[in-house]
Amino acid sequence: MRTSCLVIISIVLVLAAGGAWSQGMSGFPATELRAVDTPSDGGGSIDLEWEGEGLQFVLIMRATSPGGEFETIGDAIASDGSYTDMRLDDQTDYYYRLAYPAGEDTLLGAVAGPAQSKTNWFRSYRKNALVLTALMFILVISYVTQARKGKRLFIRRISGLSAIDEAVGRATEMGRKILYIPGILSLSEIQTIASLSILQHVSKLTAVYGTDIEVPNKDPLVFSAARETVKQAYMEAGRPDQFKEEMVTYLTYDQFAYAASVTAKMVRERPATNFLIGSFFAESLILAETGQSIGAIQIAGTADIPQLPFFVTACDYTLLGEELYAASAYLSKEPVLLGSIKAQDVVKAIIMVTVGAGIVILAFGSNIVRDVLFTR
Amino acid sequence: MRRTIPLILTFCVGMYPIFAFFVPHRVVTNINQNLDTYLVIVAAFALPLGVVNLVMSNINKIKKKDKGWFYSVVLIAGLCLMAFYGIMGGDQGFHAHFQWMFENAVSPLQATMFSLLAFYVASAAYRAFRARNVEATVLLIAAIVVMLGRIPIGDMITGGRLTPISEWLMTKPNAAAQRGIIIGAALGAASMQIRVILGIEQTYLGSGKD
Amino acid sequence: MAPFGIPIGVWINAFLTICILSFLYKDNPFFRFAESLFAGMSLGYYIGIVTENTLKPNLFRPMINDFWGNHNFLLVIPMILGVMLYFRYIRKIAWLARIALAVYIGYYVGVYLMQKLHGDILFQARDTIVPLTMGGIEAVWNVVIIVGVFSVLVYFYFSAEHKGALGRVSRVGIWFLMISFGASFGYTIMARISLLMGRFSFLVNTWVRPMISG
Repeated sequence: MRTSCLVIISIVLVLAAGGAWSQGMSGFPATELRAVDTPSDGGGSIDLEWEGEGLQFVLIMRATSPGGEFETIGDAIASDGSYTDMRLDDQTDYYYRLAYPAGEDTLLGAVAGPAQSKTNWFRSYRKNALVLTALMFILVISYVTQARKGKRLFIRRISGLSAIDEAVGRATEMGRKILYIPGILSLSEIQTIASLSILQHVSKLTAVYGTDIEVPNKDPLVFSAARETVKQAYMEAGRPDQFKEEMVTYLTYDQFAYAASVTAKMVRERPATNFLIGSFFAESLILAETGQSIGAIQIAGTADIPQLPFFVTACDYTLLGEELYAASAYLSKEPVLLGSIKAQDVVKAIIMVTVGAGIVILAFGSNIVRDVLFTR
Repeated sequence: MRRTIPLILTFCVGMYPIFAFFVPHRVVTNINQNLDTYLVIVAAFALPLGVVNLVMSNINKIKKKDKGWFYSVVLIAGLCLMAFYGIMGGDQGFHAHFQWMFENAVSPLQATMFSLLAFYVASAAYRAFRARNVEATVLLIAAIVVMLGRIPIGDMITGGRLTPISEWLMTKPNAAAQRGIIIGAALGAASMQIRVILGIEQTYLGSGKD
Repeated sequence: MAPFGIPIGVWINAFLTICILSFLYKDNPFFRFAESLFAGMSLGYYIGIVTENTLKPNLFRPMINDFWGNHNFLLVIPMILGVMLYFRYIRKIAWLARIALAVYIGYYVGVYLMQKLHGDILFQARDTIVPLTMGGIEAVWNVVIIVGVFSVLVYFYFSAEHKGALGRVSRVGIWFLMISFGASFGYTIMARISLLMGRFSFLVNTWVRPMISG
């Protein structure tokens, strides 16, 4: 009898305890914790995922053995369902569990793991960029090779280019100098390199016509490269004796101090022509408006969108965005460079077709093209 | 050789960040980060290239007593004073005199030059008012609508109709055109960057064919 | 030193502000003074910044404190590249300057190439895929966006003459560009005016008013 009573009491207690446990578990806002290496990363991080609902906070705990001491490493909202643990050692086993503070108690979830972080060799989410990069390289090489073999590639004349020659001609007629401002960024900026290509063309013309040119600089590396570019142009034009080092000067490294010095130069020396070609910021309008006020012919070129409206209103001609790069290739008169313009046009057409297709497919309810183009 | 070695280097160093863009492996990204720091140092070394040119040309003006030579003295004095305290540094970061001169001279000069833009933007707007063709007129109308849409008087005149039109112009046609420019300019830049990496474009290497 | 109870720094600040503003009237000796001082001091300022923020923490301190540790000895490479820039002035080895330039340009060209292809082209192309089936005015505005992007891209198409249909689409592109330039222009005007008001506010409130009120 006593034994039977003990058994019954034991069963009741076990059931009661089990009921309490299951009650606790049902109050636990997150379950099914999984821990996996963060894919496509440089290592040192593990992704945690769980099924959860509600806005309660759950604590994330970590240990290096399943029975070891778990320490709290962070928290998350249960319904977020994910957390990334970073700054870990690669090739080390980690175990995770979630904890949920319920009143004075802390309920613990099941242990997940082991999981190891490792460094990966490919960012799989950048496949789209890899395809675009490969396509761009292949097309540039292919069209340049075709151009080298003598195939004639049609590229329409960019309307601003004749303005460059006319502007140099005007300065020559007036017997006044040309001011060439190559932007304010360094050689790390591709617009500056494009500007140097155009500078080479302009200074070849000034060498032939015997017109004075000055290139004031903000960046010391550009100053050095611009001096070499102008020198090279004078040599190629057969007038190395006319090249003077003072044609390319250094002013200062500050954006607005540079703008103050150049505008002062414009007002005092009254150049007939100003070229503002390269990368510009807020100083663009100070330079272009001062140039306008002294009656200089002004040719601008930039891919910096915020400055384009100012150049368009204050300059006689503006090479807009892509035209700047195309102009530098066009002016070089080298057919191989025209090949690369052709390549960018083909990619442009491909993009337009892809976007067009994406819009049509989206109209039928599929996001596939948008997903393919997704970037991170 | 004198041109080939730099071109090979441009290719190898240029391809590296492209490789690193796709390969997250630590070995690769560490080298990439080091390269980044190294090149900031190289750029810092370049600063004296400009400083020497500026100082020499101004010293020449002073020596020859050229017109306005006094201003060359002012320039060199300002440069030396600021550079001296800048290089000296202080116990924690910059020298106190360096900071004082920045706050009371360089910073207000920067701010005032920046503020001159208000006048320049006004004179540019005045010129735009004399729109000579259809395109310039379109530009002018868009400018007026957006400008008035941003100030209370614009809505007072039009009974609140201008702000939505101004916002529409900014978020629809303006955003569309900017997107077109960004895609086009990025293609142009990418094409030029590939030309540089492949050694097709080499103006930046300067004179000398050998 | 504080004439009229105003710190000397405020006097210098106000004097230089007026010197620069005077350029709006015409070029004059005061502006020329401020401009020259600005050029010199700003360059000196950047010498200080480059020394303190770039050279000391990234080059001098690591090399002096722990040359062999943490691969710091490799910092000799950028030092040599930096020095190479000056070889341009020694005729016999002038070509070596190109090596430094080639490394510098090569690296950034690669970095920004990916930024353009990935960050600009893919991102903007994806954003242009907008829905047209939701009906209402939003669908019409999405058509405006699509027409705007496509026509501007056609304007930048160089492989064919802009004649016929291509010419007409390109013309639409020019209109979009002009609306965009006008809108940006109008948007910026007010921001620029507020900058000027900031300078006048300094002159009146920080300099003149304390002087008058003693």
